[in-house]
Amino acid sequence: MLEIRGLDVAYGDYQVLWDVSIDVAAGEIVAILGPNGSGKSTVLKAIIGLCRARSGTIRFEGNDLARLAVHDRAGIGIAMVMERRRLFPAMTVRENVLLGAYPAAVRHDAEARLGWVEGLFPILRERGAQPAGRLSGGEQQMVAIARGLMAKPRLLLMDEPYLGLAPKVVLQINDIIRRINAEGIAVVFNEQNVNLSFALAHRGYLLESGRLMLGGTGQEMLHSDVVRRVYLGE
Amino acid sequence: MTAMPIALYIEQIVNGLVAGSMYALVGGGIALIYGTMRVLNMAHGEFYMMGGYAAFYLVGRAVPPVLAIPLVAGLLFLVGAAVQRLTVHYLLRQDGWLFACIAATLGLSIAFQNLALIVFGEDYKTVPYYVEGILRLGDIRLPLQRVLMLLVAVGTLLAMGFLLKKTRFGWALRATSQDSDAASVCGIPVSRVHMITFGLSAALGGVAGAMLAPIYSVSPWMGLPVLFKGFVVVVLGGLGSFPGAIVGGLLLGIVEALGVQITSAEWRDVFGFALMIVVVWARPWGLFGKAP
Repeated sequence: MLEIRGLDVAYGDYQVLWDVSIDVAAGEIVAILGPNGSGKSTVLKAIIGLCRARSGTIRFEGNDLARLAVHDRAGIGIAMVMERRRLFPAMTVRENVLLGAYPAAVRHDAEARLGWVEGLFPILRERGAQPAGRLSGGEQQMVAIARGLMAKPRLLLMDEPYLGLAPKVVLQINDIIRRINAEGIAVVFNEQNVNLSFALAHRGYLLESGRLMLGGTGQEMLHSDVVRRVYLGE
Repeated sequence: MTAMPIALYIEQIVNGLVAGSMYALVGGGIALIYGTMRVLNMAHGEFYMMGGYAAFYLVGRAVPPVLAIPLVAGLLFLVGAAVQRLTVHYLLRQDGWLFACIAATLGLSIAFQNLALIVFGEDYKTVPYYVEGILRLGDIRLPLQRVLMLLVAVGTLLAMGFLLKKTRFGWALRATSQDSDAASVCGIPVSRVHMITFGLSAALGGVAGAMLAPIYSVSPWMGLPVLFKGFVVVVLGGLGSFPGAIVGGLLLGIVEALGVQITSAEWRDVFGFALMIVVVWARPWGLFGKAP
């Protein structure tokens, strides 16, 4: 469903991604792994359009995304949970979640989806009227995921979903992601920790300094010398 | 001074409220743009000026004020949206946009003043009161024109509040102002929100210009003092806070009116700026702003 070919991304003169190619099939959970500063986040930002490709193509269900503005990508079935949640802090939890269904294409059945999302996250009902900025990190992450799901995505991007969360909350988030995935939604997330990632992901890609080093299943990658070298410098 | 009848004070407070409601319109417009785009619109006074001229020509052509005011708002909405789309829109995408936008809008301000000078001439135009007559409540006398100004301002600001709080566009605007990247990821067309916000801001300024036109006369230079008042209001209320600008505007109007009452008219700005200094001293982030 998602096909990235030869992606180069640069911020000014500083090139961050070099010739990255990644595939995601419908219904998969894919982890993008790599040390700090390896360009993991940039891959996700390029998919949603927050940074532009210098060269290479990104196709979603056959459509070239280059021509679509960020706000149009939400309407065609891609949603993103951004790094550090990025909720609208002064708006209520409920307003945040409903804003996820802003695109015209998904607006009509927003109420029905709200019911489903509230089933996944009971906190939305309990704290719906509170400003989102008052919630704890874990709670905010739930709201951020709920907001993404309101766009009726077939592909959910999650930028550092575990960042700053307690271990107990990480398990909760994993459980939620599995339930989302069981609905047929493909999930792509990035994370430094390889073991943590393969508790969830079917497949993974390893980035180092903006270059794709390796791709494969959890078994393949957990036993790979390349992974060991990149992380331990052996 | 001690012998001054209480009615006179009440009258001054009401006059202050009327003036303050106009400040609130102007400041609210500046706050809206600053809050959404972080752009300090130096040409805001010229939206006010255009509102004054629009009212002068519409009312001069026997358009009833009930119709003229909404027309002015609509016209200025279009002007504001066009200004944003043709200038700020491009600047926001570039490095150094912060200063670029200030410089560009300052340039627009000068250009609009001179354009008005060429098109409308340098003579001061007077606009007749929209309503004649005086409202009497006991000892308090209030020209109906001022009552109308207050009503129009309150109505406009309530409509704006409704738009921001209750409509889909209002949600999009608030989301954009809090985090524009996150808003675009949610599917909100951020550039269009920016353009419409500029239009709304210009409409608020235009309505203020139209309502004040019968009180002050209309001239190419009428915008500048109002721009400064608007900045005071926005700093009082907290940069970029729309409710803050409303409260700041009303407060400024009342303080100025009472100050003038106990001293004289030329002290008006002294009270205004003194109020600002005191507030910023005690709360640098303004009445409704967030402490850093």
